[in-house]
Amino acid sequence: MATYDNKIWLLKNIRDAFIATDDTGLCEIVMAGEDFSKIFQNKAFEDRKRIREGRLSQPSTSKGKEGMGDISEDDDEKEIVTQFDPYPDMEDSEDDDLMCGSYIRYEEFGGHRQRSNTAQWLDKKEQALKKAAKIKVIKWDDTSTQLTTEQMTEIFSRMEVKKPEKFKSLLAEQMEKCPDLPHRQYLEYAKFDGTAQLGLPTKSFKIFMTMLPEKHQNYPLVVCVIAHAKIKDLIGFTCYKYSIEHPEITLGSVHDYGLCIAEDDGEVDWAFPCLDANEPCSKFGFTCLGLVDLKSKHYFTHAPISIPEDGMLEVFPKAAESGHSQHNPSRHNTGGSATSEAVRKAINAVNEERRGQESELDKIQSHLIATDAPQYKTYRVHLLRKVRTNTLVQLGVSLERIEVEPLMAHKHAFWSKSKYFRLNIDSVAWCQILEAKATKTTFRIVHSPTHNSGYLDRSNSGNASFFHSNTAYKIYDFECEHDTAREIVDKVNTILDLRNSPCRREYKTSKDKKLQTRRSFHTRHLS
Amino acid sequence: MSLEGSSGSGGSQVALVTGGYDHTIKLWQAHSGVCLRTMQHPDSQVNALEITPSGQMVAACGYQHIRMYDLASANPDPVMNFEGVTKNVSRVGFHEDGKWMYTGGEDCTARIWDPRAGRQLQCQRIFQVPAPVNAVVLHPDQTQIMVGDQSGIIHMWDLRTDKNDQLIPEAEASIQDIAIDPEGKMMAAVNNKGNCYVWSLGGEPPRPVPRKHIQAHSKYALRCKFSHDSTMLVTTSGDCSARLWKTSDWTLLRELRHDSQRWVWDAAFSIDSRYLFTGSSDSYARLWDVDKGTLEREYCGHQKPITALAFKDQAV
Repeated sequence: MATYDNKIWLLKNIRDAFIATDDTGLCEIVMAGEDFSKIFQNKAFEDRKRIREGRLSQPSTSKGKEGMGDISEDDDEKEIVTQFDPYPDMEDSEDDDLMCGSYIRYEEFGGHRQRSNTAQWLDKKEQALKKAAKIKVIKWDDTSTQLTTEQMTEIFSRMEVKKPEKFKSLLAEQMEKCPDLPHRQYLEYAKFDGTAQLGLPTKSFKIFMTMLPEKHQNYPLVVCVIAHAKIKDLIGFTCYKYSIEHPEITLGSVHDYGLCIAEDDGEVDWAFPCLDANEPCSKFGFTCLGLVDLKSKHYFTHAPISIPEDGMLEVFPKAAESGHSQHNPSRHNTGGSATSEAVRKAINAVNEERRGQESELDKIQSHLIATDAPQYKTYRVHLLRKVRTNTLVQLGVSLERIEVEPLMAHKHAFWSKSKYFRLNIDSVAWCQILEAKATKTTFRIVHSPTHNSGYLDRSNSGNASFFHSNTAYKIYDFECEHDTAREIVDKVNTILDLRNSPCRREYKTSKDKKLQTRRSFHTRHLS
Repeated sequence: MSLEGSSGSGGSQVALVTGGYDHTIKLWQAHSGVCLRTMQHPDSQVNALEITPSGQMVAACGYQHIRMYDLASANPDPVMNFEGVTKNVSRVGFHEDGKWMYTGGEDCTARIWDPRAGRQLQCQRIFQVPAPVNAVVLHPDQTQIMVGDQSGIIHMWDLRTDKNDQLIPEAEASIQDIAIDPEGKMMAAVNNKGNCYVWSLGGEPPRPVPRKHIQAHSKYALRCKFSHDSTMLVTTSGDCSARLWKTSDWTLLRELRHDSQRWVWDAAFSIDSRYLFTGSSDSYARLWDVDKGTLEREYCGHQKPITALAFKDQAV
């Protein structure tokens, strides 16, 4: 098909062949759009009419033609080739015979060469015969002879019924030896196993477990799922399969992982976001994917992944605590949720190595913040709210705006009707760290809705607003890990300083004034 | 080819097999819950599964066929195919030495099949009843087959004399399943009204004497089975539960329910009567600890309801 350069022919062929396996999506556009080949055909028809009329009005220049006998109108029509004709004798599209057209039918893909239907049919027949030859068929025979009495007594002799002894069961023994299993929490994904399906379309992927310590990343896990499985099902099934093969390694909750496009060697392509968890995996053409930990801040900073000191294990209980886990409680990993000593050592070793490089990194860090600040970046943080539960959100910071997008959408939970909202950067007045707790840091963004021009502020989740001079300010408090918080605050402040918007200046002056009045009040009292 | 098989024990000594509406049969590692193999059961749901006495093969009956699969090999296709039945085959079972196989089906017959095809002696027998057959069970003395039909009659077919007797426990209720305890002393039958009837079997040939009527379920009952030690009877039902009854006083010992469990189609005890497997319409099979009433394992992999299961345990 690619060797043809006739546009009209190509358009027609795409429509008729109905190919939906094109990753670029162009074929889809062609199929969904107008039928250009038809349009061109009509145009060609009109053109031809015009040319013919033109010919009729002019006396024919080639007299010789007439001498060859009558030329029917049809023949005449075919002879005139317009710019809209795809190929001189492309027929009307609808009633083409499938057999002789240039159609590439989907089921014929896969072979090296397109085979004729007969050959395929014969092949199938032969395979079925081969298969059938291995199956012994025993047919009910209505004419079978009656058995003699001796034969009857031999075959249908009475057996002594013994009282069954008390047995110890091998199953019970195996159950004792094998208490709870780590793969049990992913059990619901087992039904997406493509290798266990017969007759259903399946899809295979090479998955690199990039969220694990490097020593576990050498080989990709080859998984085969049924084609209609969603990406989240693929993640779940990957965890299921991995935990069967490596019961000593505990993985986290399925909801904390994402799948990214990766190279053949397992290098994750950070330029692309994770594949949409709700899309069927048949939609994607990539076969090499990397499983990444969405909770790891490194996922957002695009640096090599490091593992928290206490392993990845804390992830799962925490998810369950916060009610994000959608697991049936009976499928929870109840057994040994502690990391095995070996894994813990490995994690420490990896982190130790990283720490050595950190001092050098510090020097570059300040420079990076300044240059990186205008770039759009997303972070996972918790939006703190006074009355309702805190929600996990994705905080996106760019030169133009700050976006807050809830990550866990509880469709049925009335208490967390949080919506996506965004703040124009010129309406953001202030950003600072509030307090650093043992594990988390809270930080605050002060925003003035009156300055949020041009942006539809759909937020209803700000937890406080106060009046200051004529401007109402809304505050948003967030919580996340220390480093991330510091990074966000630095980034936002760099951008704010860069923009130096009226809103920020106003807030700054009012703040300064407030400070001064307070000071003057104090000094007055002291004196 | 005979049912006894020759190539030793079929892989694992313990085998759990499930089948259902998704046209597949799955072999599970019972203690870990991992699916070991998937076999193809084309064109039909699986109505019942039975592992041969040798443990070598599993028989699956469905529409117009009884298929036998080798449990020891990796072959996803059947190795034997019994055909010539015009309708659904609802139950399958074996002589305790594997001499013959018996089936019952919607063509209103119970049949004896000789799987040792190719021999001179062919034993084939047929027993006609007036209504579709829902249940067949062989008495442990290997000479009587109980045939339960849609019209509510239990026919006791004596294989040596071809004589038969009838029992009608309840009018206008179809017999769904029949069970006889391993000692051959009790027979139980469940019907589509959820009732369970129990008889004592005594004498030679065994004569049933009514013993107990239990309102076992409020809805359709599907299966009943005695435990290996004859102390328990399990009944499964369309009311989404399996219930365990004490055979000493016929009181309810335990009800096995799970939030997501739907119709419970089949059940099987472990040889020590400590564990019970159930298969349900929610496409999960489950393993319960009978004493504690706890859910111990789940088996996930089927795409559609599980309607049949078979379990072979090993004594140690």
